[in-house]
Amino acid sequence: MATPAHASEAGRVLILACGNSLRSDDGIGLKIGCAVEDQPPRSNLKVILSQQLLPEHAFDISESDVVVFVDCSAVTAAGVVTTMTIHPAEKLPTILTHHLDPASLMKMAKELYGHMPTHAFAVTVGAGSFDLSEKLTPPVEAAIPAAIEAVRKVLLTP
Amino acid sequence: MPQTITIDPVTRLEGHGRITLKTNEQGEVSEAYFTVTQVRGFEKFCEGRPFYEMPSMMARICGICPVSHLIASAKACEAIMAVQIPPTAAKLRRALNLAQSIQSHALSFFYLASPDLLLGMDADPADRNIFGVAKAFPELGRAGVGLRRFGQHMIELLGRKRIHPGWIVPGGVNEPLDPVKREEILAMLPEAYANIKMALTAYKSIAGKFKDEIDSFANFPGAFLGMVAEDGGLEFTDGKLRLIDANGNILLDKLDAEHFDDVIGEAVEPFSYMKFPYYKPLGYPDGAYRVGPLARLNIATHAGTPLADIELKEFKQLANGPVLGSFYYHHARLIDILYGLETIEQLLGDPSILDTHVRATAGVNRLEGAGFAEAPRGTLMHHYKVTEEGKMTWANLVIATGQNNNAMNRGVLQVAQRYVKADKLQDGMLNRVEAVIRTFDPCLSCSTHAFGQMPLSIELQSPDGKLLDSVHRR
Repeated sequence: MATPAHASEAGRVLILACGNSLRSDDGIGLKIGCAVEDQPPRSNLKVILSQQLLPEHAFDISESDVVVFVDCSAVTAAGVVTTMTIHPAEKLPTILTHHLDPASLMKMAKELYGHMPTHAFAVTVGAGSFDLSEKLTPPVEAAIPAAIEAVRKVLLTP
Repeated sequence: MPQTITIDPVTRLEGHGRITLKTNEQGEVSEAYFTVTQVRGFEKFCEGRPFYEMPSMMARICGICPVSHLIASAKACEAIMAVQIPPTAAKLRRALNLAQSIQSHALSFFYLASPDLLLGMDADPADRNIFGVAKAFPELGRAGVGLRRFGQHMIELLGRKRIHPGWIVPGGVNEPLDPVKREEILAMLPEAYANIKMALTAYKSIAGKFKDEIDSFANFPGAFLGMVAEDGGLEFTDGKLRLIDANGNILLDKLDAEHFDDVIGEAVEPFSYMKFPYYKPLGYPDGAYRVGPLARLNIATHAGTPLADIELKEFKQLANGPVLGSFYYHHARLIDILYGLETIEQLLGDPSILDTHVRATAGVNRLEGAGFAEAPRGTLMHHYKVTEEGKMTWANLVIATGQNNNAMNRGVLQVAQRYVKADKLQDGMLNRVEAVIRTFDPCLSCSTHAFGQMPLSIELQSPDGKLLDSVHRR
């Protein structure tokens, strides 16, 4: 059986890690992004660390075969690691300077550059606090190994 | 029947504002107020901090133009230290400031304004956004994203972060330019030139369709303030200020930061947290003036780079004297970008840009200091007072958007009088009221140092203050 594109070393992988390191658990995405960059699970991998998703990320996404969005989640319980498949949005937001989501960026990559990754995932960690702090809360700190493993898993599992 | 209209929120701006329109007994708009509704207090909470922390602290005012705050703040600190920074540090700061203007102007023109310009003021609001532009004009959509990426990536290369970079410190910059980074920036320039040329061509091809907007978007005689180089050319970082009147006469020239407060006052109106700066000799509101890309082009005799000089010459043909219509801020922004690219190329092409002496050091030698820079939206001034130990005792910031406050209010009234003629609010006319504000590309977070997004509302009120209709956008 052929190796799927997202598990193939030839495929270009983008890790788009988001968050604000001054807002406690909001910084988890950046920590995971840095950890993956320090010990990349495969070759041909690029990591972008950003405070938020931006329209110009559509270009980087369009040049990738696989994209993994890494961020905190304000919805799931603190420390819970979730992996989701991302599909391009059908409809795009009307205002984009302050908020963009992965599905919209996928759609924008396709609309602007005619290409989007064949596989897109989001790995999120539930946040417990968004207070002003450079420290993660204990359950979120404890979830870092599982989150890194979740990123490795979507990249390496055929 | 007299009414009041409120637009709240005004969309596609940076910050949070509200527009209120009042009608008279004949149902015509007679008064208009652009209200900025929040306050943050940066000038107050810095008191007691060491002055050398100010650049990094003040840069947090804004995620769009932190570099300008870094530079104006660092200059104020250097006035306190009484030091002259190394020439290479000055060149590097100029390059970074221009990179920021390029990315900010790309955001303003392509992401915020181009939906109105390319798709039309009356286009379906669901499509009137950057995605609608990308669909209808994919090459221009890519050009906008490309120019933003250029500016943002250059900021990241030099300042290590796209938003709130460090690097600029009192005394210069904290590390010299890496030759590898220089080559990377230079390699990005050809694509950036192609993008801005495409944008200028596109803008010129559609500007003629907006005669009504050109006539009514804050188009009035008034003064313009901005920075010029020693020879009167365009300058963003290391020049002095010039003020001209509506006929192009120079009212004030070679003003340095130290004397800014002597001639510029700040009025306060009860309906807004944003202040109203004015030229003191003419009083308030007669001394109100405009700043930003339009002002810069009006006050400068030339650009000083080959391609921008050609564009500026053509721009000046638009009027016999200063170009007064604020719609032309859009055009001026594109010329700013072109000038920025050319100047960055010149600065990075100079071998001395790699010099490693990039920082001067000193302690407190004066108890007061001021500094200014041209932010994307216009002149930005920081003024500090310190103790002999270097603790901040007082700060005042005069922000570009605030200096356009009077013009924005006049513009809203002018547009409302032309387009708002009914007691029910319709999207096309409301969008024009918003669009006149958008020409100034205001950053309300900067000008009020305010938290928040940019929701805005329009209210329609009778003369007795009764709310007759309103539109809210979140």
